[in-house]
Amino acid sequence: MERGEEKVITSAEQAKQDPTYLQALKELLYQLADDDFLVSFRGSEWLGLAPHIEEDVAFSSITQNTMGHALLFYQLLEELGEGKVDVLAHDRKPSERKNAIYLEKKNGEGHYTEEPYYDWALTVVRNYFYETFKKIKLEAITKSSYQPLANVAGKVLMEQPYHLAHWKLWFEQLYNSTDDARARLQTRIAEAWEEFGDVLELGPYATEMAHFELMISEVELRDRWLEEIELMLGTLPSRTLGKKYGSGREGEHTSDLDQAIEIFQDVYVSDEGAVW
Amino acid sequence: MEETNFYQEYEVFSKKSVKAPIQHQFSLLAPNEEMALSMALENFMRREDVLDVWVVKRENIRRMTSEERTNWTKRLDNKDYRKTKGYGYLRQKWKEKEQGMLDEKEIMSWKEVKKK
Amino acid sequence: MYNYLEYGSSDAPRNHEDPEQYDRFMARIEAGEKIEADDWMPDDYRQGLIKLISMHGISEIMGALPEKEWVPKAPTLKRKLGIMAKVQDEMGHGQLLLRVAEDLMKPYGKTRKDLIENLLSGDLKFHNVFHMPTKTWADAGMVGWLVDGAAIISQTNMLDASYGPYQRALQRICQEEVFHAQHGEAIIMALAEGSDHQREILQESLNRWWPSLLMFFGPASADTTGSSKQDIMIKYKIRKSNNEELRQAFLDKYLPRVFSLGLTVPDETVHYDEEQGQWVYQQPDWDEFKQIIKNKGPRSKERLRLRQIAYENNSWVRQALSKEVVGS
Repeated sequence: MERGEEKVITSAEQAKQDPTYLQALKELLYQLADDDFLVSFRGSEWLGLAPHIEEDVAFSSITQNTMGHALLFYQLLEELGEGKVDVLAHDRKPSERKNAIYLEKKNGEGHYTEEPYYDWALTVVRNYFYETFKKIKLEAITKSSYQPLANVAGKVLMEQPYHLAHWKLWFEQLYNSTDDARARLQTRIAEAWEEFGDVLELGPYATEMAHFELMISEVELRDRWLEEIELMLGTLPSRTLGKKYGSGREGEHTSDLDQAIEIFQDVYVSDEGAVW
Repeated sequence: MEETNFYQEYEVFSKKSVKAPIQHQFSLLAPNEEMALSMALENFMRREDVLDVWVVKRENIRRMTSEERTNWTKRLDNKDYRKTKGYGYLRQKWKEKEQGMLDEKEIMSWKEVKKK
Repeated sequence: MYNYLEYGSSDAPRNHEDPEQYDRFMARIEAGEKIEADDWMPDDYRQGLIKLISMHGISEIMGALPEKEWVPKAPTLKRKLGIMAKVQDEMGHGQLLLRVAEDLMKPYGKTRKDLIENLLSGDLKFHNVFHMPTKTWADAGMVGWLVDGAAIISQTNMLDASYGPYQRALQRICQEEVFHAQHGEAIIMALAEGSDHQREILQESLNRWWPSLLMFFGPASADTTGSSKQDIMIKYKIRKSNNEELRQAFLDKYLPRVFSLGLTVPDETVHYDEEQGQWVYQQPDWDEFKQIIKNKGPRSKERLRLRQIAYENNSWVRQALSKEVVGS
């Protein structure tokens, strides 16, 4: 390890010694957990509705893996005394959630049980952009000063490259197919360009995260992501990446998150305290 | 616009471990081989170890016809000379000379020889 | 699956059947040989299989929908993951079975597209249980435990089926069903041992599902509904037992477990008759059954609507990739 010995934190107990370190670490963990949870929640709504059966099965595996990743990050929070994983996932107010706003966006028009006019173009663009980002973030985290997190990042990276390859393939193939398909992707890319900004943010503790070597800087994260996307698109949209609805990293959210919470906590809140 | 070309037939094969041979899994429909490969893994090997996956467009496989399977795959049982079974009498011969038989079990155990 | 099948009219060309060929075919299946897709087979064997397997396959696809309603709602992360994996398997079983059906339909120039379109037009039926609503989380458990339990009974009965591709698909499917059974049991067990509210929704769910579970295996004889193909499937060694034998096997295996959890079934007459060696139960309403599988069940229209939207709304994706993708 090249880092100074004093910066490697090997346990939750040790992390709790420094309140600022602990706060920065928790922020980072909430972002990781909530991002994966929302992405996998939106994925789970698609189940049974994909363009063809074989894709439905493959997509669901990716969704399950991603929810499994969220679970790993929530477990790290549980170890830090934040509460049980299921409480963290199901029973937090929108203002306490740190997922990026673009990731909570509905899959399209309608509801998953009624008139689900879901948009595959949105799903392909969102997942391709997200998985590209996730790989960069996780790779940075494998060198994190918080050892338990670095270990989890290493584990997640065992299966995440398949996810990225899958969505990249869909993106590439649709982008290079018919005019109609390309136009649909372009519409969703333009939309993402107005909204994806907060995905690349690290929130109010970004400086501390870099200072404690928990994570690379926001600037570096963003540059690496833009570089990857530019490779795919050839040229990037000319306008700067926006965050039209604010920053989820600051606890700002849209009604789409309320809709998601209402669904994913439906049974959980029907009998609180029950064992399911 | 037509979408029938989307449904191309691919046969899926996989390998479980370094020692295992490639095994046929099942077939799937996909628009091209890259998609077929991306889908194969999770459609058929969600619960098992996998080291390698092959997809082959079905039309590229020359398989036996029903008739060929019926007519080409049955053999007379007179080929002991091809198998160790035809040489079983050697066991007794070697025994008389106080030597063991170099049978399959013995030979397959010769993975190492003495180092010089 | 049960063998009450009303598929659209057969537009298949009739082979001119040669009695010698037919006898050879029968000798093969009598000897336990497996028939492959490109082997000669009698027309009614092919037709019967297409009907059986396409209905079985499409029922898996439609069967994903009622349970899927509870996937995003499942109460814990572990349950969310479990039910997602389970519903994914149902889609996967549909994939396996539709591939088998598609290969049988190939001589008639039919593909996946025709199967989905036949479903949407109402020509291809799906299983009665999947026309029913899933109103509470207990239903997610009930489907996994008893509906899948019934499916396991009928599918394992065909594990020696004379048609090779179907037999091999069933082998995979039944192995995965073991996980489904335990997934369902785990949900049920937690509810049965849980709060008053949890036990209530569990009993209420069983009460609602009971008639559908009895209907699952189809009527005992053709007299009940006027059409039953069970005999031909037994003659051709696809299945071994008739509808009533399978229903009795289901009651044998599952009723003692139902009672052991302190649950009841909504039929006071249910008992095991030692003399007859079988369960006695009140017949479900077979007229209602006929209506249900004519897509006139409580949720038939809504489920078909979901399938239709998913199919039509994603049509652009299949069109886009229908053109040859150059390189990659």
